[in-house]
Amino acid sequence: MGNCLKSPNTDDISLLRGSDAGPEVSSEQSANMGPPPPYQESIPIYHPSPNVSRPANQLTEEEQIKIAQRLGLINHLPTGVFDGTSKKAKECCICMEEFLLGDMLRFLPCMHTYHKDCIDDWLMRSFICPSCLEPVDAALLTTYETS
Amino acid sequence: MASMEKRLQKELLALTKDPPVGVKVNTDAITKNLAEWTVDLEGAPGTVFEGENFQLQFKFGSRYPFDSPQVMFIGPNIPLHPHVYSNGHICLSILTDDWSPALSVQSVCLSVVSMLSSCKEKKRPPDNALYVKTCSKNPKKTRWWYHDDSV
Ligand SMILES: [Zn+2]
Ligand SMILES: [Zn+2]
Repeated sequence: MGNCLKSPNTDDISLLRGSDAGPEVSSEQSANMGPPPPYQESIPIYHPSPNVSRPANQLTEEEQIKIAQRLGLINHLPTGVFDGTSKKAKECCICMEEFLLGDMLRFLPCMHTYHKDCIDDWLMRSFICPSCLEPVDAALLTTYETS
Repeated sequence: MASMEKRLQKELLALTKDPPVGVKVNTDAITKNLAEWTVDLEGAPGTVFEGENFQLQFKFGSRYPFDSPQVMFIGPNIPLHPHVYSNGHICLSILTDDWSPALSVQSVCLSVVSMLSSCKEKKRPPDNALYVKTCSKNPKKTRWWYHDDSV
């Protein structure tokens, strides 16, 4: 257990995430981290909650439902093929590669764009946009309600 | 596996070509093993760590950047800082809970530098003795409690 005091002015990490930084991450979020299990490359690993990784054959029923729901939500996020017309989206900040013509992309509600494969891998762990830290599902649910 | 190496190559290239002030990657060691980096950090001028040099170790798993790297201070000089344990472990939320794959070696280094720079008084965390005695070798296995001293 680590328990050190955080001084207020060390929290400003959001500055480092670029000019379009989203809401500041609360410093009071308490950590709930268990030891990461060893990697087993042969069995697919799922992440029913942030920081929880479990091989597919060790998921509880509840976790299986959660993952199914998550996959459903991810599938509702728009995708598209990079055609070079977008001036804003140039690079995927997960793999740090520039988008190439024909790349499959996924668009998040916050307008950040990633390779479909890159962001889907992350969304299975966390529904937070890696760039702006905006919760993806909140925006998605609001879209449902208004439409 | 391949995507992790590709991204690390990119980061390495960018960091050696255009390193931030006070941050220097030890490239000789990395060419042997891309999954383990050592970065030299300089205490910023005008701060309590002015003139001091530190070594930060990064270990990357095959799931980087989806998993955060394991980051700790190594070497003879571990900064005397309220968030740095004497065994080199660092209490910094972006290294565990607040990690995002958009973060990078560079942004972690900058966060650590800014954490050091904002330090007013050189001292160890209050629970240093107990923590160092009982913790895992891997700082990512620690259940960190990030909290504000105003709480
Ligand atoms: Zn990508
Ligand atoms: Zn975003």
